[in-house]
Amino acid sequence: MSPPSAASSLASAEAPPPFLIDVGRLGRRLAPLAVGIAICIAGVALSGFHKGFPAKWVLGGGVPNWFDRADSWVQTNQSSNFFLHHIIGGLGSFLNSATNDLVSALHWLTWVGVLILAVLVAWLVGRWKTAIFAALMVSSFGILQIPNGGPNGISDMWQPAMTTLSLMAVAIVISTIIGIPLGVASAVWTPVSKTLRPILDVAQILPAFAYLVPIVVLFSIGNPAGIVATVIYAVPPLVRFTEVGIRTVRRDVIEAGEAFGATRRQILRDIQLPLAAQAIMLGLNQVIMMALSIVVIASLVGAGGLGDPVLQALQTQDLGMGAVAGLLIVFMAMWLDRTSAALGKHATRRVGVGKRLTRPQLAILWGGLLVVVLVAQYGLNLGDWPSGWGFSIVDHVTNGMNWVTNQLTHVSESLSSFLTLHVLNPLQAFLNDFPWWLMAALVGAAAWARGGPRRAILLVGCVALMGLMQAPVGYTFQGVTSYDFSAWGDAMQTLSLVIVALVLDLAVGIPLGIAAYRWRAADAVLRPILDFLQTLPAFVYLIPVVALFGVGNLAGVTASFVYALPAAVRATTLGLRAVQREVIEAGQSFGSTRWQLLLKIELPIARPYITLAVNQTILLVMAEVVVAGLVGAGGLGLDVVTGFSRSEVGLGAAAGLTMVLMGIVLDRLSQTRQTQGGQG
Amino acid sequence: MRDQGGSLRLRTGRRRIAGIAALLAVIAVAAAAIATTAGGASARTNGKPTITLATNSWEGSLANNVVAQYVIQKYLGYKVNLVTIDEIPAWTAMAQGKMSAVLEEWGHSPQYSQYIKKGHQVIDAGQEGPNGNIGWYIPTYLLKQHPELKNWKGVKKDWKLFVTPQSSPQGQFLDGAPSYVTNDQALVKNLKINLKVVFAGSEAAQLTQIETSYKQKKPIIFYWYTPQYQNAIYKFSQVALPAWTPKCAKLKPAQINCAYPPYHLYKVMASTLRKTAPPVANFLRRFSWTPNEQNSVAYNLAVKHMSNDQAAAAFAAKHAKQIKSWLSKKTPYTKVLPPAAGT
Repeated sequence: MSPPSAASSLASAEAPPPFLIDVGRLGRRLAPLAVGIAICIAGVALSGFHKGFPAKWVLGGGVPNWFDRADSWVQTNQSSNFFLHHIIGGLGSFLNSATNDLVSALHWLTWVGVLILAVLVAWLVGRWKTAIFAALMVSSFGILQIPNGGPNGISDMWQPAMTTLSLMAVAIVISTIIGIPLGVASAVWTPVSKTLRPILDVAQILPAFAYLVPIVVLFSIGNPAGIVATVIYAVPPLVRFTEVGIRTVRRDVIEAGEAFGATRRQILRDIQLPLAAQAIMLGLNQVIMMALSIVVIASLVGAGGLGDPVLQALQTQDLGMGAVAGLLIVFMAMWLDRTSAALGKHATRRVGVGKRLTRPQLAILWGGLLVVVLVAQYGLNLGDWPSGWGFSIVDHVTNGMNWVTNQLTHVSESLSSFLTLHVLNPLQAFLNDFPWWLMAALVGAAAWARGGPRRAILLVGCVALMGLMQAPVGYTFQGVTSYDFSAWGDAMQTLSLVIVALVLDLAVGIPLGIAAYRWRAADAVLRPILDFLQTLPAFVYLIPVVALFGVGNLAGVTASFVYALPAAVRATTLGLRAVQREVIEAGQSFGSTRWQLLLKIELPIARPYITLAVNQTILLVMAEVVVAGLVGAGGLGLDVVTGFSRSEVGLGAAAGLTMVLMGIVLDRLSQTRQTQGGQG
Repeated sequence: MRDQGGSLRLRTGRRRIAGIAALLAVIAVAAAAIATTAGGASARTNGKPTITLATNSWEGSLANNVVAQYVIQKYLGYKVNLVTIDEIPAWTAMAQGKMSAVLEEWGHSPQYSQYIKKGHQVIDAGQEGPNGNIGWYIPTYLLKQHPELKNWKGVKKDWKLFVTPQSSPQGQFLDGAPSYVTNDQALVKNLKINLKVVFAGSEAAQLTQIETSYKQKKPIIFYWYTPQYQNAIYKFSQVALPAWTPKCAKLKPAQINCAYPPYHLYKVMASTLRKTAPPVANFLRRFSWTPNEQNSVAYNLAVKHMSNDQAAAAFAAKHAKQIKSWLSKKTPYTKVLPPAAGT
């Protein structure tokens, strides 16, 4: 998504002289109000002055029931149905054997081979620094050990790391195979783009937990389920980057091609695709980062690897072990991020990056690697990391974290009870009693004002559907399953968490973003911390969060706050940096002070970016709401977790869908016309 | 012009990358080929199928599995994989033949009748030994300060002790992982106790909360169960609820007003296991032990950070006779009592 130019937002700030009555403008001002009133009247006529959402309004026997029926159909037909047995089953066993083959391949390479290969690739595509970094990160899988009964009571994480690497590789290859053609297709044919956009939106907003249940039904537990979940989660950015990359190739370049008589296919292959390579590589980089952020969730459905020790640590509340295993996931993400970013620059040939070796030189390098591997494998009988080479920092981490927690308990407890009693509980009570039609009216009016009638219709539809997702009162299925699911009430509870987390994120994130823009030192301190927070699996900090804030909504809010903070800080800094030099210099020439500049010029111009920051923060907070369900925050998050862990497919899927609808409403409301137009 | 030059240079760059990719692919394929020839054999060790045991979210379940894994691998020569999975999906997986057995079942009467009684895809693998007990618990220090908390009437009187910001203005009753089916909301309502049930969302979060309160000697009341290795670390006391009766078990979930039913923990396995791995099926039926034995293995795993193998070996070293009796066909095994309705 390309952000709007500063110039356009300046232009729109121009207003007609205030003393003239502009009828068209008045109409535009009043239309949202009229829409809101109309929705209120219609809503009251339909359901009366009702608190919340009427319990008797259920869509066709209940949306949860549709999914429960589908689940039971799949279970009974799994072995007889052609599609389920051969296509899905075949895909599952293909993914499984591909992963297992890769794991064995990495094992065959031996640890020496893997290390050299990682360093060599990093060196070829990047600088020396990239290579040294790769070496450090890869050796950390062996060196940073956890107490799990090895020879000295500790054992290395080499094998789980290689499993995760293999899972990631398969998921990334499949994402590429799906993502790039889809991106090209949507760049070339507008109808494809229009069809795909809502699907991609849903895939991005849908919490991974919500589709874990159907995936397990289809693929059973294990590596295939983990890979499928990862691909669904990671593929949307690649499609988007590819499409935008191709679409933004300059018109004149294409016209030059046409002038030489190139066919459409030639233009696509020889002009547009190569010029879009940088965007595509950025998309691939995103795929890698997204895939690594879902490693722990993939472990929930039986995919092995580094997610397992994180979950195991969660189960035994082992702070240190969870943190170290989480750290290794961060390290793998950082390694793959640096290498793939260098590869992206290499592919698009930025000056001074990567090596230009002749063919014989390359042949010697690869030949040398092969010899080393053969010697290591058959001569020295090396295998995975030598278990004695490493140490455990787990106890220190545990002690450190306990110490910090103990120091903070008094502050955090009073903060927690203040926020819960005076902010969260009242907000929750207020939203709980809020009539659905009033909510629909507010959303409709705001959507009309920001995006016109089409957006208003879409969002009011989403609000009404949210309530309709509920299960009928006293719902049972086949006499075995029974649960309550009041979608509206739970959605309002979730909304209160999202609002508080969002406000906290912006209150902390925007000042930090400004600080990082103003002072180089602040940027230098913040950057590694943000990098770390962005890739650290949220499961790692669940236990400390509960220890500090107690089980409940505030623990959930805190987890969401931490998860989304980097996005809020980053987008603010980025927006401020995009302000053009000339504008600032013009301000300086009028004698503005530094703070005047910031408040009067830089911040107003960066506003569209800050809107983008709000939007990104909302989406990330939404993504984390499910994890918040694991620490006692109720609402849709707990519904999805319950649906997943009790195999109540209808509950999990309907709650997930409600969450998607809510995500769409919040996303569209926080986008101005411009930012949405910028999405292409 | 600049763009054109860029794209030309880019072509050569791409070719080089294609070269690297091709080489990597060749290495991968070669390695994969070697691996598959080697791996093909490993899926079936000496023609014996791999056994998969379901590990549920509590530590006792893992303790059962590591000992079973040790015995099956060492004495019967089958490879055993432990797979982490929730309770209900494990039944589905067994019915599909993708899971060999579950060694600790709590209740699950709907699944029992669906898969064992009707479907026959899953079969009874005997009782596990310990009896499960689910109920309301408080820390023992709290009982000493407030002896009336020994039963629900005391809780009803003292509900103010348990007020937290989250549950305010009511008292808080802390429930655990959402996969555990609980009656607490119905109990609180039907016994007219002014407590609000707060779901911790995961057992880890629940336990962390209990630990925090325990350290500060604060009042807390929660859903808990035995056997559980944490009971060896913390001192908890059970709060008596109105006694369980079969009549109460027949009530609808929302109307339940008595204690949790007794649980005879049992084992189940995929029916195919009797044909594909008869010695394993025989062993699994006879595998049974006491809550203390299970707790000691769980403690070694969770607190002492022993590896699965070490914890099992430590148990085996002290219980050679017991293992021998599990492996002998002469040892009688106890059949499963059908789980109580509503569990």
